[in-house]
Amino acid sequence: MLEVRNLQKVYDNGTHALKGVSFDVKQGEFLVVIGLSGSGKSTLLRCINRLHDPTSGAVNFEGEDITKLRGARIRSVRSRIGMIFQHFNLIPRRTVLTNVLSGSLSKTSVLKSILGMWPEEDKIKAKQYIDIVGLTGKENIRADNLSGGQQQRVAIARALMQNPKILLADEPVASLDPATSHSVMQYLKKVNEELGVTVICNLHFLSLVRQYASRVIALKGGELIYEGKPLDIDENWFKTIYGEEAVEVTIN
Amino acid sequence: MSANTPALENKKTMGMGQMKSVILALLLDTFLWTYVSLVLYKIIYEKMILGLRFPDFTWNQPITALVVGGLITLALFFTKFSIGRATQGLYDLDENKSIMKEPFTLLGLFIVFLTFIAGLYVSQISIREFLSQSGLTGARRIFTALFQPNLGILEPALFAAVETIYMAFIATTLALPFAFLLGFFAARNLMNGSRLGLAIYYIVRFFLNLTRSIEPLVWAIIFSVWVGIGPFAGMLALMIHSISSLAKLYSEQIENISNGPIEAITATGAHPVQVIWFGVVPQIVLPYLSFTIYRWDINVRMATVIGLVGGGGIGTMLMQYQGLAKWNEVGLLVIVIASVVWVMDYASSKIREAIK
Ligand SMILES: Nc1ncnc2c1ncn2[C@@H]1O[C@H](COP(=O)(O)OP(=O)(O)OP(=O)(O)O)[C@@H](O)[C@H]1O
Ligand SMILES: [Mg+2]
Repeated sequence: MLEVRNLQKVYDNGTHALKGVSFDVKQGEFLVVIGLSGSGKSTLLRCINRLHDPTSGAVNFEGEDITKLRGARIRSVRSRIGMIFQHFNLIPRRTVLTNVLSGSLSKTSVLKSILGMWPEEDKIKAKQYIDIVGLTGKENIRADNLSGGQQQRVAIARALMQNPKILLADEPVASLDPATSHSVMQYLKKVNEELGVTVICNLHFLSLVRQYASRVIALKGGELIYEGKPLDIDENWFKTIYGEEAVEVTIN
Repeated sequence: MSANTPALENKKTMGMGQMKSVILALLLDTFLWTYVSLVLYKIIYEKMILGLRFPDFTWNQPITALVVGGLITLALFFTKFSIGRATQGLYDLDENKSIMKEPFTLLGLFIVFLTFIAGLYVSQISIREFLSQSGLTGARRIFTALFQPNLGILEPALFAAVETIYMAFIATTLALPFAFLLGFFAARNLMNGSRLGLAIYYIVRFFLNLTRSIEPLVWAIIFSVWVGIGPFAGMLALMIHSISSLAKLYSEQIENISNGPIEAITATGAHPVQVIWFGVVPQIVLPYLSFTIYRWDINVRMATVIGLVGGGGIGTMLMQYQGLAKWNEVGLLVIVIASVVWVMDYASSKIREAIK
C-alpha cells in the first residue's frame, strides 16, 4: 500500500539526511524503523506525509506518487495518514475533546471549525476513540494537565479520528517511563490488530522492537542497511546498525 | 607548534569574510577619526577656546574632517590604535595583558570623554543660570502655585482625563485586529515556507519598522493637520503607533512558539487557516492579552503627551493653562494626570500578573 522508491532528502543547510531509501509497506504491517540518532528516521516519516518535501525519489501511497502534490490534494493525502510524535504535540490549553476533534479538521469547513461548530456525529466518534484509548471521563480536562502517557493516548485518539490508512509514530515512547511505554505500545498494537491500521513506528529500544514489530528496517547515515524480521537482528547486525561500541539495554 | 596551527589555517582561508572585516574596520576608524577632528575643531576650538557664539559653517569643514580622518586612519591602521580592528577581532591579543591597557581602549575612552565635554557644552549646562536669583524666585512662585491646586476646575479636568482614557482605549482596540493580522505576516517561522511568503514578510517588517520609528507625537501633528485638532487626531496617532508596536510584539511571540502543535495539526491534513487557529493561536492568546493591556496603559500616558500638541483630552487642557501661566490650574491637572497614570499602571500590572 506504500512504496518508497530511492528517496533522497537534502536539507537547506546541506545535510544529506536520506540517501536513496527504498522499501515497501504492506497493508496491516507493524513496521518499525530503527537506527542511531541522526540516521534519518524522523526525516523519513516526515517525507511520507510531506511535513518535509523529499528532494527526489517517489512515495507511492494507494497507487499515487504523492511527492509532488500540492494544496488540497496533499491535504487529502495527509488526512489519510495519522501521525503521533515523541513530545505528543497536543494543542495546549485546549480540552481532550477538542484535541481529539482536531483530527477531523480536514473534513470540517474552516469557518465551522473556527467557531467550534463540530458535527454531532464527530463528537460522538471522538468520545468513542477517547474510550478506546482508556481516557473515558477525561473529555473536558485540559490536555496539558494530563500525564505523558495519557497525552500520548490523546494523540493516538486524534490520529484515529482521521480514520487513517497508515499511522506514523515518531519515537512515540521516547519521553515515557518503561511501564507507560508498554501501555502506549499496547494501544498502538491494538490499533494495528483490531482496527487494521498499518503502523510505521520509529523506536530506540530493541526489546520493544522484538515485542511489537512485524517487520524491521534499519537506517544508518541516511541509507537503508537492514530489512527483515525483528528476531533476526543478531549480535552482528546489532553492531552493524548501532556501531561496534554499542551494548544493548533492555526495557521491560 | 600546535598552538600556531589554527592561526596558519586562518591565514590560508583569508577570503571574503576577512576582506569584509578589514573593510568594516577601515570604515569604522575613518568615521571615528572624522568625528574626533570635527568635534575638536568645531566645539573644542571654535566654541570653547575662541568663544565664538555663531561660528561659520561651510560644507568644506566636514569634508576636510573626512579627509583628515581618512589620513589618520591610514597612518594608524597598522598600529595598536585601530578601534576598528579591535572590534572586528583582527588583533592577536596578548591574553596576559589587560584589555584596559591596550592603546585602542585608551583611545576609545578618550573619544567618550571628548563626547562628554562637547555634550556638556552643547546642552548649555550652566550652574550660574540654574542658581540665579530671578530664576529661583520664578521657580518658587510656580512650585508654590502647583502645591495650591485650583480645585475649581476638578470637574472639567476629570472629564478631560476620561476623554484621554477612552481615546487610548479606542486606539488600542481599533489597532488590535490590524496588529493581530499583521503579526502573522511579520513572523518569520510562518512566512519562510515560500518565496512569496518571505517577500511579504520583508515588506510588512519594513513598514512596521518605518511607522514605529515615527514618534506618536509626530503622527499627532500629521493627523491634526489632516482631520483637525482634537481627540480624533490623537486617537489616530496612537492607533498607528499601536498597530506597529503590537504587531512587532505579536510576531516575536509567534516566532517563539513551539513547532510541535503546528506540525501535528498540519499532519491531520488541516487547511493552513485551521493550522494557525488550532496550532498557533492557543499558544499566543495569553501573551497577546498581556501585551495589549500593557499597550493600553502606555497609550494613556502617550495620549496625555499627544494632547500637548492638540490631540485633545487632558494634555490639551494642560497646554492651554500652561500657556496662560495659570499655575494653580496646572497644579491640579498634574495631580489628576499622575493619579490616572498611577492607577492604570497598577491595574495593568495586576491584570497581567493574574492572567499569566
Ligand atoms: N529541519 C532540519 N534542517 C536541517 N537538518 C536537519 C533538519 N532536521 C534534521 N536534520 C538533520 O538530518 C539528519 C537526520 O535527522 P533525523 O531527525 O531524521 O534523525 P533521527 O534518526 O530521527 O534522529 P533521532 O533519533 O535523534 O530523532 C541529522 O543529521 C539532522 O541534524
Ligand atoms: Mg527523530
